[in-house]
Amino acid sequence: MDKSLFRYIWKHSKRDQLIVCGVVLASQPFYFMSLDLPRQIVNEAIQGEAFRDGNVTAPFLSLGFELPEWLGGASVQIFEGFQLSRVGLLFGLSSLFLLFVIINGAFKYWINVSKGVLGERMLRRLRFDLFSMVLRFTPEALRTVKSSETATIIKDEVEPIGGFIGDAFITPVFLTMQALTALFFIMVQNVWLGLLALGVVMIQIVIIPRLRRELLRLGRERQLASRELAGRVGEVLDGIEVVHVHNAHSWERAEIGNRLFTLFDIRVKIYNRKFLVKFLNNFLSQLTPFFFYAIGGYFALRGTLDIGQLVAVISAYRELPPPLKELIDWDQQRLDVQVKYDQVTQHFAEERLAPLVEAREEAAQDEPLVGPLVAEELQLSDSHGGAILDNASFAIELPARLALISAGSPAASITARILARRIPGFGGHIRIGDRDLMRLPPSVAGRRIAYAGIDPILFPGTIRDNVVYGLRFKPLGQREEDRREAERRVAEAIRTGNPVESISDQWIDYSQFGVGNADEFDRLLVDLLSRIGMGNEMYLFGLAGRLDPEKDPDLAGRFVEARRRLHETFQASGMEGLVEPFDADRYNDQATVAENLLFGVPTTSELKGRNLAENNEFRSAIDKAELTRDLVRMGLQIAETMTEIFEGLPPGHSLFEQFSFVGAEELPEFEAILRRHPHLDDDMDRDDQVRLLSLPLAYVEARHRLGLLDDKLRGKLVRARALVRETLEKDGSAGVEFYDPERVCSAAPLRDNLLFGRISYRVANARVRVSEAISTVVKELGLLEEIQRIGLDQQVGTAGRLLTPQERASVSLARCLVKRPDILIVDGALAPFDEARSQQMTELLMELTEQRSLFMVLPNDRQAGSFDIQMRFRDGQITAEKTGSRAPGADEPPAAAQTMEGEVA
Amino acid sequence: MTLEAEVQSLRQVPMFRDIDPARLKLLAFTSERVQFSDGQRFFSQGDASDAAYVILDGRAHVLLNTPGGEITVAELGDNALVGEMGILSDSPRSATIMAAEPTTALRIDKRVFLELLAQFPQMSLAVMRELAQRLERTNAQLVAQSSS
Repeated sequence: MDKSLFRYIWKHSKRDQLIVCGVVLASQPFYFMSLDLPRQIVNEAIQGEAFRDGNVTAPFLSLGFELPEWLGGASVQIFEGFQLSRVGLLFGLSSLFLLFVIINGAFKYWINVSKGVLGERMLRRLRFDLFSMVLRFTPEALRTVKSSETATIIKDEVEPIGGFIGDAFITPVFLTMQALTALFFIMVQNVWLGLLALGVVMIQIVIIPRLRRELLRLGRERQLASRELAGRVGEVLDGIEVVHVHNAHSWERAEIGNRLFTLFDIRVKIYNRKFLVKFLNNFLSQLTPFFFYAIGGYFALRGTLDIGQLVAVISAYRELPPPLKELIDWDQQRLDVQVKYDQVTQHFAEERLAPLVEAREEAAQDEPLVGPLVAEELQLSDSHGGAILDNASFAIELPARLALISAGSPAASITARILARRIPGFGGHIRIGDRDLMRLPPSVAGRRIAYAGIDPILFPGTIRDNVVYGLRFKPLGQREEDRREAERRVAEAIRTGNPVESISDQWIDYSQFGVGNADEFDRLLVDLLSRIGMGNEMYLFGLAGRLDPEKDPDLAGRFVEARRRLHETFQASGMEGLVEPFDADRYNDQATVAENLLFGVPTTSELKGRNLAENNEFRSAIDKAELTRDLVRMGLQIAETMTEIFEGLPPGHSLFEQFSFVGAEELPEFEAILRRHPHLDDDMDRDDQVRLLSLPLAYVEARHRLGLLDDKLRGKLVRARALVRETLEKDGSAGVEFYDPERVCSAAPLRDNLLFGRISYRVANARVRVSEAISTVVKELGLLEEIQRIGLDQQVGTAGRLLTPQERASVSLARCLVKRPDILIVDGALAPFDEARSQQMTELLMELTEQRSLFMVLPNDRQAGSFDIQMRFRDGQITAEKTGSRAPGADEPPAAAQTMEGEVA
Repeated sequence: MTLEAEVQSLRQVPMFRDIDPARLKLLAFTSERVQFSDGQRFFSQGDASDAAYVILDGRAHVLLNTPGGEITVAELGDNALVGEMGILSDSPRSATIMAAEPTTALRIDKRVFLELLAQFPQMSLAVMRELAQRLERTNAQLVAQSSS
């Protein structure tokens, strides 16, 4: 990054800046003309100077100029103009004025748009450059860099810089031109008035920026303080568990409160200063008109200045302060932004960054990582200076399966990390064949080495996204995209130094895996995940997932078939009572009233949950069906029961959340409604109605058993379905996907689609029995794998928090395995699993890495027997032995015998 | 059958006799009404105790595992409370309960029940009183047995 902001801007946008500047210059004559016209209108048309000599007409639009005296003083006439009467001249000149107003406006429009685009392009470049640097932070820098602060810098702090970039060169040019034009114009009219205006302007230009220096210092302080605030909030959020566990709420509150006070304090100082300067500035601006009126008026009275001139001078002066003020503002902004830019560049200082990664593909070196692996004189110390590895050397032949037996020392994990190239700063050399491990191009290492550490790092997205993360090397360019859009996108990317690759392209080379398309590749992933023990989870995720019948009509057809089969199974085995199917002509006692009315699944949030009661279309439909009164009555009854039985439970009690229709904080409101309307009456206002209506919509007769529905009402609700559907569909999109026995509903989870009904609350163990039935049918129809594939769409959440630790570890391992790396390094990745499962996984890893290399850190040698080579660590030395070459019983010393290096005083 | 009817049934259970109607309603509301078909088990001996049941309608047999197979030791009818000892003492089921005909029962979830006890001392007292009375009866039976 350039040290100076202006150099950075100039380097990347000089062409655009110059073009816009050129246009600004071209616009000036028109601007000057629009200033001069008022004088002409007043003097020539209104006061009639052009007609002074008894002329009936005067020329309009005559073009010409007079040569200066020393050239002979002749006047050259280009166009004689039209001869017009006085009124004609007035309208002619006025129309001309209007024309110039439009031309000036058009210029301003073009200039503003160009400036905006220019700024945005530079902002894009700046942000991208910064992000590229984020990827280059060295491990040492990463220890001190706070992620939330960095994010704030890239997102917020550079924003004003981007806004300024469009103005960086153009605004001073434009505004100076404007101010000079106006000043020149005043000078032409009257030199003294011009000099007067110039004098005041000079005072403004010199004094105001000086007063503003202090503002800048405060601004810098504020930027740092608010960045730290963002960092602190991020930290608290990341460590929220510790805050809860240790009840540090008050301390954290006080801490943030203090920071907010500091921010407030700086702001107040800024305001005091800022508005004082503003006051002074305004005063100086208004001082000039005072002189104009007083002195100009005096000249006019004396007859040395005509009225038209005075009007023109004053109207020209009106044009002077705004550009001047903006110019001063620009200067302020310039300093401000320069400060911000400095802060940003400091954050991304060169010494915090690793050298630029060479993107060049080195195909010649891309050969399997096999052959002799030789490590010589490995040396690494811990932060206290104690040696973890002390001139350790070893040599083995790859491919091999190695157990790195830690026996309590950190050296095993460190060695694993060194081999995975995670620790660049160690002493010594590691070679595979004749290649230096550390000199391998990142592209080769990324493809051929995989490392699964103790912390599975997952990105928000689907399970599929996370598993294939390591396969996205480069796009294959097989995406069909709109040519013009693509060209525009690529052109913009090139202009701003951004990458031209599109993430919607196909990034995975399926042929490498021997499959033809994404579907087949999905099967491969499912197979892999099933092998590492996620089969059942994937099935459950799939059942909770959704299927879009438009995308895969065949599969949707098979699910409808499965739905039919499932119902036949229920009929045949006497289980028909377990599930109450959706039937367009029958009320479903196991479903909510809302679901019964909609007979479908809402797709917009406006129709979900309580919002339904507020939706106008829905309300008008139930009004038409004459249901409002019934539902409000139900609402009253529910409110009555809820307030009665939940009274006395403390707010926040888990029973509220689990069972109540009403939140604890809402109870008093419903009590108030009940006091206002103990019985159903007609003068209930809309708010109360909405509140009461929201209650019965969530009511499930079979579950809540308040006995609020009789057959008559059920019939009425069923009949209202058509009306609701009709009303909602009236303006195009209904916002509800309606149930259809012959179609898959893409808004509902797959499980609901298979059941096409609701499990009965009334039958004991219904849920378990239904799940078993589903699973049987799914297996019979060969849908298991399809459902697991849909499970790949399961979201993992931020940092994988929607998954269990075991699932996270499995996904992380699958991500390594799917690459089929030459060398797989497993360092604590099996920690979340219990011993039996971890043993199973180890065996599986051995199986999957047949003919490849596996380095696995093990806590002891209990599981090490099946590895080819066992590596042990003692006193900073490494010994590698073939399994079986060591006499049993000659085990490593107990872990407690570790020396406490670095503790020596 | 509605919530009100269930509350009436709960009221017939000695353990719940003295509890406030509003609390009984809460207990009923937070419970599930489930149906067992003839021969279906509520739970089996040795299962973890996760709920208590009040029989609302129907009959159930209490079965014990013996070396000679399961034997029926008692029959439960309407308004009988069963399985409450398991959830209070946190011990596995000491017997099997099997519906002797299509039976409807109110399933009181263990967690919910314990939370209600923790929240409302009056309910805890009612439960204690019932347990104390049972103990007293057992003692009396023991005395009667040893003296006979």
